[in-house]
Amino acid sequence: MAGYRIGRRELLAGAATAALLPGALAAQGNKTGVDASTWTPDYINKLAGTADYDTAAECAKVVPLDYKGRLTYWYWGVNQASTEIERKMEADFFAAFAKTYPNIELVKQNLDYNAMLDKLRTASIGKSAPMVARLPILWGSEFAAKGQLMAFGPTDVGYSEDEFWPGALKSVTWKGKRYGVPTNNETMAFIWNAAIFKEAGLDPDKAPASWDDVVAYSKQIKDKTGKNGYGMVARVNAGNTPFRFMPQLWAYGGGALDEAEASPTYTKIMLNSPGAKAALQASYDMYVRDKSVPVSALTNTQTENQDPFIAGQIAMMISHPSEYALMIERARKATGADKQVADNVVANMRYGLIPRGPARRAVVFGGSNAHVFNPNIVEGGMDLQAVKAFVAFMTGPEWSIKLAWNISNPGNVRGFRTKWMRERLDTIRFLDVSTSMLPNGIPFPVLPQSAEIMNIIVPNMLQNTLTRKMTPDQAAENAAKELRALINDL
Amino acid sequence: MVRHRADYLYVAPAVLVMVLVIAYPVWFTFYLSMFSTPPNLALEDKIFVGLDNYARILGADSVHEASLNTLVWTVASTALAFVLGFGAALALNRPFRGRGLLRGILLVPYVISAVAAAYVWRWLLHSDLGVLSALAMATGLRSQPFNFLDNTDTVLASLIMVNVWKEFPFVMIMMLAGLQTVPDQLLRAAQVDGAGPWQRFWHITVPHLGNVSLVTVLLLLAANFNGFTIPWVMTGGGPAGASEIWITQIYQLAFGRIRFGLASAYSVILFAVMMTMGYFYVRALVGRDRAS
Repeated sequence: MAGYRIGRRELLAGAATAALLPGALAAQGNKTGVDASTWTPDYINKLAGTADYDTAAECAKVVPLDYKGRLTYWYWGVNQASTEIERKMEADFFAAFAKTYPNIELVKQNLDYNAMLDKLRTASIGKSAPMVARLPILWGSEFAAKGQLMAFGPTDVGYSEDEFWPGALKSVTWKGKRYGVPTNNETMAFIWNAAIFKEAGLDPDKAPASWDDVVAYSKQIKDKTGKNGYGMVARVNAGNTPFRFMPQLWAYGGGALDEAEASPTYTKIMLNSPGAKAALQASYDMYVRDKSVPVSALTNTQTENQDPFIAGQIAMMISHPSEYALMIERARKATGADKQVADNVVANMRYGLIPRGPARRAVVFGGSNAHVFNPNIVEGGMDLQAVKAFVAFMTGPEWSIKLAWNISNPGNVRGFRTKWMRERLDTIRFLDVSTSMLPNGIPFPVLPQSAEIMNIIVPNMLQNTLTRKMTPDQAAENAAKELRALINDL
Repeated sequence: MVRHRADYLYVAPAVLVMVLVIAYPVWFTFYLSMFSTPPNLALEDKIFVGLDNYARILGADSVHEASLNTLVWTVASTALAFVLGFGAALALNRPFRGRGLLRGILLVPYVISAVAAAYVWRWLLHSDLGVLSALAMATGLRSQPFNFLDNTDTVLASLIMVNVWKEFPFVMIMMLAGLQTVPDQLLRAAQVDGAGPWQRFWHITVPHLGNVSLVTVLLLLAANFNGFTIPWVMTGGGPAGASEIWITQIYQLAFGRIRFGLASAYSVILFAVMMTMGYFYVRALVGRDRAS
């Protein structure tokens, strides 16, 4: 079958790319003055505030500041759940760009995260794509594989590749070429409510060390307090699900493919591995056996877990460093008796590393990348100079950190040396903890069907288990079969 | 013929628009259904597979499950909305104080946005934070929240309930209009002849409502067969596919899995079913015209 031959070629190309770009963080170059091999909260603290950068001067080397042009840009930006500081930073960013390049007309569209992929796919087919889009790390390879992106990397905007995390560069690489510039990279952390831990007879200042501990803690919390232990998320077609389940799957030694290995080939299916089955069993134990997680985990996104957390009804969850700021805002808005409950929760919030499993400690290496669309499908034609000016401005050390203020980390690692990183560490509690998870970050498979694997196949496997439609073993085998069919279909 | 030439000219713009916005997409969907469109290929690089996509759709277990769900969703929604709407129409057909206000209130579900309604119901029925559960627990009726949407056994019934709530006012309007056509003299004459309320209803009212009932049911069947908003917004077809129906599965195939070819084949099958319903709808309309 013709489709199968094409798929094999592309998979081999993906494997070759992966082999050429080993993910060891120690490979981070010295040009940035950042040594990722010693990435600890202490090191991050020492690094912050040690360098100054002039964004306009750096951009001027790429495109003259008086350049006149037009740019279309789609992105996933602030929404109703965003904090005030995120709104301010986004507004400041567009104002600063307009001031730096006053003659570039910027036409921007802020899209909903869950709708953006569909809209972009449709726009690309209809030759109405924007010039630039900032996309979550998972999506780029699909557009690159279809020839809908233009080869465009950090060096096109005057930055050395050493300024970006190897995992982030891997996510913008298809068939050996760069198709984007990383804007921000993040790893989440483990949050818990110390007061509920204490109420349940657990050490309030100690995070569960392993995923087995999470299962045991969750049960103990439910049994002793009646509150939900772990904030599980298992909705299909929601990005939140793989970000919370894959760290567990990898920790037990599983994977979708072999993305957790040092040199992934993306040809080995691991959804039915013993590790994957153990992770499914752990989820089953929490949801079905112990009933220690929200019943609504099957329809919830992470946003729906925030209210019960601030109400002191969920004890543990995986989340961004921004969760603390979000909870402070929610507490500020609470009134009456709710206000006291919310304030207590904020005072009792603790951050720790995501638990280990028998195989490793793992977290999703997430983030976003700026991609440039193929001029053939861009509505109204391409203005490459305007594109370069904008991407250089956005991915430099200043705005890569400001735009990621409390939700992520700068894609450009020079950002860690800036005074803004110092300010973040001083004002955002627990940022050093979530940032220190970066070396444990595992990128999703760099394949065009990654979104389908992570948003549909993996959550379906989880739902089949949690609804008892299948046993964990059957669900894992079924998902592996589906994944095999998906790969053979290419 | 000459006399009708101007008529053809008048309708030409409308026909042209129809060709562009209906005929072309239908043709292109049929054409695309013959191709494989894996997510790593641009649409122009699609691979011809003939009728393979149809075979894959018709042979897939998940489609069989969704077919059963679609049947239950369509038939139950239609039947319940019809019964409830007809009952409301009968109640509101007789004059009483506050009738206008009540008619207005009962129309609310029909006029509010389906997306807004679905979100509101999602929160009302939420398994942990739902308002209905909170009320039941506050009044001591239950000790645990209801699990409507995260349970494979109850999710479809819950969605049907929401759909019926949204649709019954449509039936009510249609049947109220139909009830206006039942000749008052005939009802009075029957009463004079000694016919009771049930006999008048069964032998006079119901036969007069035959055509309008048929048209209403056919329109409801078509709408429910294509009913995307409520299941998609409330559950996305989950959990574990328990509320997956044809139309949500087509959307998922096309935009979640980027299988435009397979989704097109599935759409063509749906189109054939819809056309069959359309045929009966037109026949019912023609029959009504002839009868009148």
